[in-house]
Amino acid sequence: MAVESQRVEDFRLEKEPYYLPLSNEIELFEAAYNERLPVMLKGPTGCGKTRFVEHMSWRLSRTLITVACHEDLTASDLVGKYTLRGDETVWQDGPLTTAVKAGGIAYLDEIVEARKDTTVVIHPLTDDRRVLPLEKKGEIVQPPDDFLLVISYNPGYQSVLKDLKHSTKQRFVAIEFDYPPPDLEGSILTEESGVDKETADRLVKIAEKVRNLRTHGLEEGVSTRLLVYAGQMIQRGIDPVPACEATICRPITDDVEMQRSIVEIISTQF
Amino acid sequence: MTFGPAVGNVGMYVAREMLTSVPEDQRQSYLRMVEQISELKYQLGVEVARQLPRLLAEHDAEQVSHYLEQVREVAGIGWKSGVEVAKQLPDLYEAPDEELAASYVEIISDATEGTADDAETSGLAKELDDLDRTLREMEPMVKRAQELRSLLAARDRRDEKRRKHAVELAAALPPILARLRPKHRAAYLALVREVARADPEASLEAADTLLELFNGERVSPDGATEWVRRGLEVLDQNKEVGRGYFRLGSKYSLQVLDELEEGLALRAVARVLKLYATALSGREVAIRSTEEMGALDVYSVDNIVLPPDMRFFDEDDDNFTAYKVATAHGAGRIEFGTYDFSLDDIADTVGDLTARYGEAE
Repeated sequence: MAVESQRVEDFRLEKEPYYLPLSNEIELFEAAYNERLPVMLKGPTGCGKTRFVEHMSWRLSRTLITVACHEDLTASDLVGKYTLRGDETVWQDGPLTTAVKAGGIAYLDEIVEARKDTTVVIHPLTDDRRVLPLEKKGEIVQPPDDFLLVISYNPGYQSVLKDLKHSTKQRFVAIEFDYPPPDLEGSILTEESGVDKETADRLVKIAEKVRNLRTHGLEEGVSTRLLVYAGQMIQRGIDPVPACEATICRPITDDVEMQRSIVEIISTQF
Repeated sequence: MTFGPAVGNVGMYVAREMLTSVPEDQRQSYLRMVEQISELKYQLGVEVARQLPRLLAEHDAEQVSHYLEQVREVAGIGWKSGVEVAKQLPDLYEAPDEELAASYVEIISDATEGTADDAETSGLAKELDDLDRTLREMEPMVKRAQELRSLLAARDRRDEKRRKHAVELAAALPPILARLRPKHRAAYLALVREVARADPEASLEAADTLLELFNGERVSPDGATEWVRRGLEVLDQNKEVGRGYFRLGSKYSLQVLDELEEGLALRAVARVLKLYATALSGREVAIRSTEEMGALDVYSVDNIVLPPDMRFFDEDDDNFTAYKVATAHGAGRIEFGTYDFSLDDIADTVGDLTARYGEAE
């Protein structure tokens, strides 16, 4: 999180990140941005939420500062804290403060993973006040007009203990993501991994079958990201079955019987 | 002062002042004499140790030796009389009549020994000695008798339990036999009989388990015989563990069964097949064994019915593939609605097909 040591302009994407629209998500995001409404991206792991934000950042020509939230992330880590530097105490902005000051898009990935106090910190940023209070510093930061807060959230594996409060949820425009329809997912695979259409279609078919096992012992279905990995491995010369075992089967479950059934599904395609 | 090696435990009886009253050149022999007389009874040693300094001072060695012989003679008959004689004799040696001491010793000896006609007492003592000896000789036999008594009591208890379990087996066996397929009857009965002979309680377990093994065709008759043989070995070493074996309640028992089973058991792969079918069809399905057909509406849309074991091939992988093909077939029927079809829909279906493909020529 040594954002200060880098120029904020370094977070501007120069090259267009590949993104294939699935629905009207681009229009929704653009409309929310134009109204400066904070956006919440919901969807399972590996379905393209982060890629979408990157794409929108490029599309809107805004910098993108991403914070991957984790369970030890505190409000101080996010907004900033006093630190000792030599023999003096200096304030160091956290990544959120940096983003708020610089403008552009601040993206808090998997916000529910962070500690509860972090969600309260973002509340003033997400309503009509659009400010970030730095309590320890006794300062209120007013973001530039082009600032937008985006969070992502995977409702699939949240528990009672880890879920967004309604007071937080109801501050965002929510855009829902899911795994792409087969034809689009095949195109994504072809584009991202370089596999031919037939191989991509087979991988998509496997994913479709494996995703049927959600609620039957699988917490999440196989993600598009893992399918891309499988395609990349195949492109690197690994045989399709072991490539799929390594990228599709083993990462998503430790249940031996579940793994075996997935291998059988894979073997129906390759 | 040291008494030297010959002295032994004499120091216990000889007070320091007694020893110092003996001339130094006679001390070793004094101590030796006390020690020797003490061997008869230590009280004699105490008394003799007390008297000897005076005798050694007043009499010659021959008289001292005579004193010791007389004391020893009386003590040989009764040690308490010997102690008293040892105490009194030195005074009697001082009497003018030299025969007095000898007469005194004779009287005390006779008095102690008793009259010659007390043969009855001697006889009783001898009899008692004999009996004591016999009892001592019988001790190992008494001990063995006690052991045998305990052993037989335990066997009685065991036989009682055996009879109780035999009664239970008598009640349990007929309904089991009614469920047993006739072709397995001979082999089944022979094996149950073998286990029942060894332990009726284990045979109760074996009767149930063998029924399942035979009716489920999980093992061949030879396999069942081998499974029982290994179970009897276990039973021979430990009854409780053996009963667990026949109940299929031990890891070893299941291992042996796995080793002897022929083909691939459905229950071993049912979950994999269920997941496979669920993934293929996108609907939750259940894998059922044909054995469950009586109890279930197995042809309801969410069931795939398969044989309880697959033994088309020698290799389990091939048998699994056979299961997989059958499962995929079942999943296809579920996915594409075979079981949803109703005879009432025939007219519509024919109409649809005619519209699509035209009238049959």
